[in-house]
Amino acid sequence: MGVIIFLSLVLLASTTSKDPSPGWSRSVRDSRNMDCERMDGETASARHPGLIEAPGPRGDNIERSALVCRERVMAEGLRPARDEAVLMDLDDTVSGFALAAGSLRSDLTERTWLVEVHYPSAPVSSKIAFAAKNALNSQGLRVSDRAMTLSAGDVSVLTRLPPGEAWPAACRRYAAGGLGEGDALLAVVTRDPRETQLHAGICDRGQWTWLL
Amino acid sequence: MHVYQPVAGLQSPAVVDPSAANFVDLKLSVYCLPGDFLEPQEASALCQKVSLLFENQGAVVQTSTTARGLRDGDLAAELGQTDAEAGGPADLVLEIRSRRLHQSNDTLWWAASLSTLTIVPAITESTFAQDVVVRDASGFVLVSDSLQGRLVRRFGVGAWAGNAVLNKLLREEPDKVTQDSAGEALSDDLYRQLSQLVFNADVQRRVLQESASWE
Repeated sequence: MGVIIFLSLVLLASTTSKDPSPGWSRSVRDSRNMDCERMDGETASARHPGLIEAPGPRGDNIERSALVCRERVMAEGLRPARDEAVLMDLDDTVSGFALAAGSLRSDLTERTWLVEVHYPSAPVSSKIAFAAKNALNSQGLRVSDRAMTLSAGDVSVLTRLPPGEAWPAACRRYAAGGLGEGDALLAVVTRDPRETQLHAGICDRGQWTWLL
Repeated sequence: MHVYQPVAGLQSPAVVDPSAANFVDLKLSVYCLPGDFLEPQEASALCQKVSLLFENQGAVVQTSTTARGLRDGDLAAELGQTDAEAGGPADLVLEIRSRRLHQSNDTLWWAASLSTLTIVPAITESTFAQDVVVRDASGFVLVSDSLQGRLVRRFGVGAWAGNAVLNKLLREEPDKVTQDSAGEALSDDLYRQLSQLVFNADVQRRVLQESASWE
């Protein structure tokens, strides 16, 4: 009986240590802190050679499937949920904005692009601005670090307007101020404190266009 | 003993509080599409629960369980029928499609389990996806995501006793694995993500409307 129990425990320890689900060796919180992907044996072996054994060239009558997991950089709860959601997808989001900005009209590729971010957290805002400028650059667009400013009177009026009217009005004020004919502004904004996505709009020669 | 592991999307950060009035007077059509993971009755039950979830947040919900997806060609007919039943066009259409990505029930595990008097547990597992698409009234896709999770069942006296000891001695309250914890955690994650996705889609819809009104 003792031998059976000993062998069982050895077998159990060796088989459960790699399972990413909550269990003997992993807590619920640890398990939630991973992003996983289910893939077939061939794909898994190609992506992780050495770690996952490749199926034989003639197959081996076993259906192989791998669950490949990657631990998140920041554990759940360390950052506010909204910041975490925005930063997790930031690269894809701003790449989409930059692609849309550059392909909206052919003349926009000749502009010098300025970036403005409206997000409640200053550290996250600066990360978004940096990523957006990089994304515009990688589209081959000219990017400037110049920042647009509005007068106190303009800000007072604009902050009382609903977002749908505030941005077109701000764009007209920018055009009357420092945003020249050769410039275009990409504004990255959040519209509601409960959403986990960003929106973008373009201000070009006083004309405001939402990119989504 | 069942355990649940969110694989992708289900554990994404969510801000929307599903107990708050997030969708006051929003007209929402919910389509639940059965697949190899959900039988038609289960899809219908899911639709009822999702309907209640959004009604509690202030939405006016119309549900439908169909055996097929909403393709571009038949979307207008589906929406037209829903419009007639709901007394007006839906603001948003939520489509939930269930798929099984992987299932394993290895006889070797059962053999090992039985030969060790179930001290070594027999393990079965299933990985599933809930594909979520949210469209506006015209059929334009506003948001889509694939929420994937995994249910693992460990059978045997070893799994039961080991889990009981860990629950009693080592695990803190949020980490305890109980008979109901897998179902509760999965429901919590699914409802939170559905609320967040529909909320994001609703904001997108409003931005699109503003965009159209300025052109």
